[in-house]
This record gives sequence, C-alpha cells and structure tokens, in this order.
Amino acid sequence: MKVRKDHLYLAIVTLVTGFLISHSIELTKLRAIEREGDQQWQQETKLNERIVKEKEQNRILEVQLLALQRQVAKVEEEVAQHQSEAAEVLAELEAARMMAGVIPVEGPGLVVSLQDHPNASQSENVMKNIVHEQDVTLVVNELRAAGAEAISINGQRLVSNSAIRCVGPTIIVNGVKSATPFVITAIGDPDTLEQALRLPGGVIDTLKDFVQISVEKKDVVEVPAFVGDYSFDSSSS
Amino acid sequence: MTGNDRKIMFILAAISAIIGVMLATQLRSNLYPQQAESRSISELRSTLQKELEKHKTLLADISKYELLFYQYETALDEGESVEVMKEELARARKLAGMVSVEGPGVTVRIVDLDRRPSSLLTEQVEPAEGDAGREPGTSAGAYPDESTFPVPAGQVPQTNNDSVESFESFELAENGNVTIRTEGNSTQDGGKEGTGDIHVEGPPPLVIDQDLRMVVNELLVNGAKAVSLNGHRLIATSSIRNVGSSIQVDTKFIKPPYVFKALGDPETLISGLKLANIEGIFQIANKAVLMEKHDHLVIPAYQGTQTVRYMRPVKAKGES
Repeated sequence: MKVRKDHLYLAIVTLVTGFLISHSIELTKLRAIEREGDQQWQQETKLNERIVKEKEQNRILEVQLLALQRQVAKVEEEVAQHQSEAAEVLAELEAARMMAGVIPVEGPGLVVSLQDHPNASQSENVMKNIVHEQDVTLVVNELRAAGAEAISINGQRLVSNSAIRCVGPTIIVNGVKSATPFVITAIGDPDTLEQALRLPGGVIDTLKDFVQISVEKKDVVEVPAFVGDYSFDSSSS
Repeated sequence: MTGNDRKIMFILAAISAIIGVMLATQLRSNLYPQQAESRSISELRSTLQKELEKHKTLLADISKYELLFYQYETALDEGESVEVMKEELARARKLAGMVSVEGPGVTVRIVDLDRRPSSLLTEQVEPAEGDAGREPGTSAGAYPDESTFPVPAGQVPQTNNDSVESFESFELAENGNVTIRTEGNSTQDGGKEGTGDIHVEGPPPLVIDQDLRMVVNELLVNGAKAVSLNGHRLIATSSIRNVGSSIQVDTKFIKPPYVFKALGDPETLISGLKLANIEGIFQIANKAVLMEKHDHLVIPAYQGTQTVRYMRPVKAKGES
C-alpha cells in the first residue's frame, strides 16, 4: 500500500516534468520561429552588435591616441631640454593645443550643473521648468565672458565650432547626445567665474526660478580633449 | 523495504528540484523579455553612423600623431626637430583660430530696416498697405525668395538695387554667386509707417545677444568650420553678450548691421538657417536677414591676445 502511494506521487511528478519540458520546448521553438521570421528584429540585433563592437573599438583607439599624445609630448620635452629655442616653441605649442582643445587640460575652475525643476511635471507650464539649450548657452556664454579658458558640457569639450543643439529632452554637443543633469565644467579663476554667474539679475537669478542650478568651486577640474571632426582640410589656407 | 522507500523518496526529491528550477527559469524568461528591441532601426543606424565617423576621425588623429612622432624620431639634428615642432605649432594655432582661414562659405547680414534710405520706405508705403493686412497672419518664413515677395513687380528691382548698393563689399568677392534675400519685412515696415493700426504688435526692434548667439549656433550646427561676427573671429572662448544697450563680442563692442561670415558648405548652411526660421525670428525684431553664398571667403584670425593662466595639460601621473 505504501509503495503504491509513492508510485502515485512519482507518476504525478514525472507527468508534470514531462509537461513542463514539452511546454518549454514548444515555447522556445515558437519564439525562435517568430524571431527568424522577424527580419527587423534580426537587423536590430545586428546593428546593436555592430554598435557595441564599434564603441569598444573607439574606446581602444581613444586610449591609443592618448598614449601617443603623451609619447609625442615626451619627445617634445626632451627636445626642449636641449635647446632654448625649442623650449619657447614648445610653450607656445602647448598653449595653442590647449586653446584648440586637442589635449585634455586641468586647472582650478567651476562646476555648474543644470537640472530640470523637481516638480516640472506637475507645474502647468512644463516647458518653463525644463532645461533648454538656451539656458546652457546662457551659462556657457557668461562663463566665457568671465574668462573661462576651457569648458566642457557633460564631458564634451567646447571648441570653436562646437554647436549646442536641443532635441527633445536631450542636448547634443559635438554630435554626442546627453540628458539632464547638464554638468558644465569650466577652467578659470573660480571666484571670478562664480561672481559672474551670481551677479544680481545675472544668469543664476534668471534661471533659478525655473530650473535647478548649482555652482561649485573646485581647486582642480579636468576638461577632456575634443574628439571629432575638427579638420580644416577642405579649406586650404 | 525501507531502502526501496528511501530510493523512491530520493528520486522524488531530485525530480521536484528539477521542476522547481525549470519553473523558475521559464517564469524569468517570460517576465523579462529582451529590452533592447524597443529602439527603432533608424535610431540605431544613426548611432552606428556616428560611431563609425568617430572611428574614422580617431584613426585620422592617430595617424597624424604617429606621423608627428615619426618625424621627431627621424629628425637628424635638433634644429630639424624644432622645425617639426614649429609646423605642429602652426597646425595647432589654426585649430585654435589664431590664423585666418578661407574657403567656400556664406555671409549672413542682419540689416536694420529703420536705417534704410527713407526714400525707399516712403515709396513702399502705398503698395505695401494692401498686403499688410494679410501679412501679420502668415508665417514668418513665408517669403523665402523674391518670387513670393508680396510687393508689386515694379518695386522689386528697386529693392534689389538698394541691397546691392549697400553690400558692395560682398558683391566684390564673387560676381557669379547666388544671392538670396529676404525682404518680407519691408512690407511690414511700410504698414507701420502708413497706418499704425494694421501693424502687428511685437517687441521693439532690438537685436539682443541671444539672437546673435542663436545664429552662430545654427551656423555651427550645420557644419560651419569657422565663424566671425563683424570681423571678430569666434573661438572656443568667445562670448557674445549685452553690455548696456550694445553688444560685445569678447571685449569689443559691435554695432549693427551685424555680419556673420561662416566657412562651410553654403547650401547646407543657408538651408539650415532657413529651416531654423532665423528669418522669421528677426522679422519680428524688424530686421531682414540677407544670406549670400560665396565660393571664396576669408575668415580673419582671432585678434585678441589669449593668455593661458589657469589651465595646464593633464600629465600622465599613473603611467610610465
């Protein structure tokens, strides 16, 4: 009697197992067919794979470029140590490179972050309480006027032909999309920069009612190098 | 018997465990389907496109630095390496905007209509009134060229002549260039002069720094390589801001008319500005936007002295 009871349990359990196995096989088959038939899905996966691969490669290339830049800088320094003329040229060269934004720089400065107003979604005028490109350009312009030497927005160095574009809730700088919060890093005299922003009736006064804005003075901030299309090759000089 | 019992119990336990695992995995795969699928193909394509472009520019940058490195390495004596360094300096200065550049591009003039010859204004008052009634309602960018310009045919050549006269310096550069003018504003202006009640209400005719920054940004968005405003080259640290009632570029005051020069593909630049409705925005401020294509345009170098006081190159600390 006892044995038969156990057999009954066993039978139920194996039945359930069998059903589960067949069900899951069926389900995966069905899905596989669906996916194979769905060209769009295939294409998307392929694209996704390529993007991931390309991004990885670009990262490696960036590291390579940085290493190369350092190598070049080392050689330049060696040359400069031997010759006074070279030292002068090197100083100029470094300044020009920093201004052009082709090498990463650091120094004292300011970090400004702009964020949508916390209750933007509840206010009747949503547009008023989210950060627009004008707000970002306003801050950037003020920082420039106050003598900022290098500026980046969310890690994108601003160079002479950088554009700031607003697409939906994102801002595109140097062709790279980013969303709030927008962190603007500027190198310059921290006090001057901050005072310029805090002028009565100035940028902060204008913006603080609509968006969240915070300013932080830093002893050392780092602004990355510009990576992208920055050649004048098509325009001879 | 007890041994057999245990055996069965053991099998039972094992099978139940398998069922449990299977149930769990099945549930999980059903609850969380692939999330990456929701993005559209076109978006993915553009992302890929950008990555590929970045790849290309990175490779170009790397080869540039490799060449430079090679030049340093193979320099026979120190004099030669200094020469290499000077060449590199010239390149960097060009990127920084310290050297004038030239190439195809556009000029964009923001013209204050109130400063136009008064004879033209009075001439246009009469014919303009008929149109002024419907004009305020139409979209600001409704007159992209002269063919749709709502002034009687007789008036058009006069408008043209006047414009050409005042922009002599630009006509000098290229005679064969295509000239695009937007003068829809003069009609509105005429309406104001003639009968005040027809004139659409708007802010005073004042161009502020933000408008100019917007034009600069639009030019850059559409691929301008270098931009100057009233002869002042705009570089990475250039600001345009209101100081009192006038506008300063960096530390220099500029006066209207505002003239932008931008290097880049003229077609793209002009269509980009039109798309952004620059003309319409300035029309409200009582200004006309005149865009001209040029095959050859010179953008001056940055004139101010730029001293680096706070920033320094990031030195590799952890490496080597």
